[in-house]
Amino acid sequence: MKRDSTARQVWDLLSSIKLTIVCLALLMVLVVACTLAQVRLGTLGAVSLYMRSWFYWMDLGSFRIPIFPAGAAVGLVLLVNLVVAQGRRLELSWKKAGIWIVHAGLILLFVGEFVTAGYQSDAQLAIEEGQTVDHVEFPRQHELALVDTTDPGFDEVYAIPEQALARGGKIVIPGTPLSVRVREFHRNAQLFRAPAGVPSPVTQGAGVGVVVQEAPPVSSDEEVDATTAVLDFEAGGQPLGTWLASRAISQPQPFEAGGKRWTLALRPRREYLPYTLTLKKFSHDVYAGTDIPKNFSSLVRLRNPGTGDDRDVLIYMNQPLRYDGKAFYQASFGKGDTLSILQVVQNPGWLIPYISTVLVTVGLLVHFMISLRRGVRRATAAQAGRTAQEAA
Amino acid sequence: MTSKWKKLVPWAACGLALLGAAGMLVPRGAVRGFEVDRFGRLPVLEGGRVKPLDSLARNSLLVIRGAQEFAFEGRTVGADEWLLDVMFRPDVADTQPVFQIDDPDVLGLLRMPQTTQRRFPFTAIQPYIQEVERQAQLAEPIDAKQRNRFQGAVLNLYERIYRYFKLKNSVEVSGSPGLLIEIAAASAPGALQRQQALSELAQFRPILPPPGAKPDAWRNTGQALQAAAAGRVDPALVSWGKLGVAWRDQDKASFNRTVDELAATAAAAAPRLPEVGKVADEVLFNRAQPFYVGIVIYVLALLAVFVSWLKWPDVLRPAAYGLLGAGAIVHTLGLVFRIFLQGRPPVTNLYSSAVFVGWGAVVLGLVIERLYRKGFGTAVAAASGFATLIVAHHLAADGDTMEMMRAVLDSNFWLGTHVVTITIGYSGTFLAGAIAIGWVLREHLAKTLDPDTNKALSSMVYGVVSFALFFSFLGTVLGGIWADQSWGRFWGWDPKENGALLIVLWNAIILHARWGGYARTRGIMAMAIFGNVITSLSWFGVNMLGVGLHSYGFMDQAFWALATFDASQLALIGLAYLPRHFWKKGGAAAAAPNAAS
Repeated sequence: MKRDSTARQVWDLLSSIKLTIVCLALLMVLVVACTLAQVRLGTLGAVSLYMRSWFYWMDLGSFRIPIFPAGAAVGLVLLVNLVVAQGRRLELSWKKAGIWIVHAGLILLFVGEFVTAGYQSDAQLAIEEGQTVDHVEFPRQHELALVDTTDPGFDEVYAIPEQALARGGKIVIPGTPLSVRVREFHRNAQLFRAPAGVPSPVTQGAGVGVVVQEAPPVSSDEEVDATTAVLDFEAGGQPLGTWLASRAISQPQPFEAGGKRWTLALRPRREYLPYTLTLKKFSHDVYAGTDIPKNFSSLVRLRNPGTGDDRDVLIYMNQPLRYDGKAFYQASFGKGDTLSILQVVQNPGWLIPYISTVLVTVGLLVHFMISLRRGVRRATAAQAGRTAQEAA
Repeated sequence: MTSKWKKLVPWAACGLALLGAAGMLVPRGAVRGFEVDRFGRLPVLEGGRVKPLDSLARNSLLVIRGAQEFAFEGRTVGADEWLLDVMFRPDVADTQPVFQIDDPDVLGLLRMPQTTQRRFPFTAIQPYIQEVERQAQLAEPIDAKQRNRFQGAVLNLYERIYRYFKLKNSVEVSGSPGLLIEIAAASAPGALQRQQALSELAQFRPILPPPGAKPDAWRNTGQALQAAAAGRVDPALVSWGKLGVAWRDQDKASFNRTVDELAATAAAAAPRLPEVGKVADEVLFNRAQPFYVGIVIYVLALLAVFVSWLKWPDVLRPAAYGLLGAGAIVHTLGLVFRIFLQGRPPVTNLYSSAVFVGWGAVVLGLVIERLYRKGFGTAVAAASGFATLIVAHHLAADGDTMEMMRAVLDSNFWLGTHVVTITIGYSGTFLAGAIAIGWVLREHLAKTLDPDTNKALSSMVYGVVSFALFFSFLGTVLGGIWADQSWGRFWGWDPKENGALLIVLWNAIILHARWGGYARTRGIMAMAIFGNVITSLSWFGVNMLGVGLHSYGFMDQAFWALATFDASQLALIGLAYLPRHFWKKGGAAAAAPNAAS
């Protein structure tokens, strides 16, 4: 019996309007905190701390404790509250039709934000005029790329993700005689020329004579980590020396093994596309006599041998190219207006907010129409009552 | 008074106010015989758009002096006349007190005592110009967020001096024998350097694109002089040369004739350059100053409604309503005129958002007054209209309020949907807050409280908050969709987005608190006032965040204005919870219990 009443209390609480208000208020607190924290942490840092996590944690020396529910937790509770209240408290009547639609739209909006948090990927595609590119890069993720360049017409790429390097140990690269043992891995590091008397661990390649110092990961939106690893290479049991692979080294380092020519590089993670983009022209228009930008646009050639697509596409402000589940946006530019940087976003839930917007808007309109009609009817009734009184 | 006459009161008040507003349209006429007004209607290209010289002159004087005219030697000097002096009689312009300097440290740098006299002629600054430049160069590389007050102020002064210097050297090299001589000697040795200097310094481009050229191929006099050196003398260039000589010699007949020549050239080009045709309309708009006139009318409406609560309610309340209507008409015409001139939806920058927020609140207030007829709608609408137009007036001091839209903003569709709806959301939230403030003041000041009015106010706030929730939600998600279209994410927790979200959340909380019965009249009123705080912070506060939260340069006027406003709102919330007539001796005990709370 007692159990039952406790369950009932929880059920009552979950469907209560009080819980809605508390959640909305908590969300406001989080939004304010997240906004203010952006000054210090940058948008990405603040959002992952306050919004895209279950709790806001406080560091207490070696361990940390959750001190405040964060965006995901509040969002989930609000979602449950909405669903439960909808099913339990709100009667299914025409009078409440507007509220039903509004809440359905809001539920969808929350779901959409969860889908975005879980599945959205942000990549970049940097392309110079005349260049053809067949991959996108994820500037905040890294991979160790070993490229077999023996055939001048074709590169064979073997990539080890950053996470595998971080786990350390020996990694055998299937299909090749190569294996690699991770000596050191740093998410962010600074490289120095080794001072006299300090030995450098590196024996081969561009990193000879360099020492590595661990650095804290960057927090601002503009910087990226200089991820660095010190690696022992082997080819068929034959040691190839100790190499330095780092984001801070811009050029791939060549070496030979097993009669083949290779390069190695620690670079932003790449995803190869089944199609290519060629930048024909990048334009940066300004208003006459000023340097106020008027428009940025990239004229690209899209070629997809798989589908037979071979056409020109103009990507400009507010006009992305949507293709193959990805959207390509004009994001930035460089090198004296000859380099165009496109932001490439893949979000399976991108349509959800559009649908929920329509639902909520229609729902609110319906609700206010119904209220207005009721209000007018009441006013007319009151008027009639007053007239009747006066007559009497 | 008979009821027939009573019906005429609002119309009479409205008509009189509109008549006054129309008075602004009457041209000033010639200044000392010079057709300065016609000079102001000549088209130039500046800041990427074609505008009348009048706009250029007014905006420049606004930036440098903080006003569109000034008093000098016992008379009012208008912006157009000032611009003529700057360009062609720099020795006169240099002695006119147009540089407003308020910062005590900058005044100290210029060896000027801190007196009430805060406006200085260029001649007073000239001896220290190198020091100002040096200080500005020291301050320039520092990030805008990190600059202290002095660094911000000295940089601002330097920028104003530089703008003045550019204006002086836009048509002819300042202090040179003049443009006509320059044309005659266009290919003489040394001329090329002067032409290049003119090209670089020109603040505006007065020479229309020749037939067949691209519509934005306007030229400054430096460029036109280079063409003259190659044997292609543009007749307009010669006219500008003659204009300079005429103004320098104060030759009325020659000046007026030359202005007519230039006007004829522009008129001939109008069919192929549609912007040139709009220039005369913009002068009309400048002269009408509809938003300034709006401020005056709203103040009159506010005064009338206040007095009506003490005396003559039968005449003054309808009169106030009529005045509010007149204010709304002027405000609306101003907005429509702006939309026509700019070819853009009403809100394109912070300035126009303030104008539009006020407009939305006034229109809503008019509707409320029609529904409830208590004078309350009039009072809060007039107060909101007045306050937002004052804010807009201060935001206009940055220069051209019709500047060109930066790349990503260059989308009339999104400016027309997202920006307009979100701004209407601001209007609604502010209006609800204003009504709530009215409720608080009435609670403490009115001698008696009738429950009817109380109920009416409560339902007004409820209705307006619902309205505000609808528009702020719609505006926020439309913003999300725009962001998805242009950056690839619907929601990025960017400060401005968060600000909009806060308004939505707060309005939702107010409504849920009412539906759940957790807040009654008093609570709802206090919450509606807090809506003002939230809206002001997300409207302006997040912009200041970009200017730096943990820096000293951030303590500027706007910050203090915002802080004062928010503090006053918090004080009003406190007042809402104090017992009625608490300020009377023993009033709290004697006060009648409040029926509605």
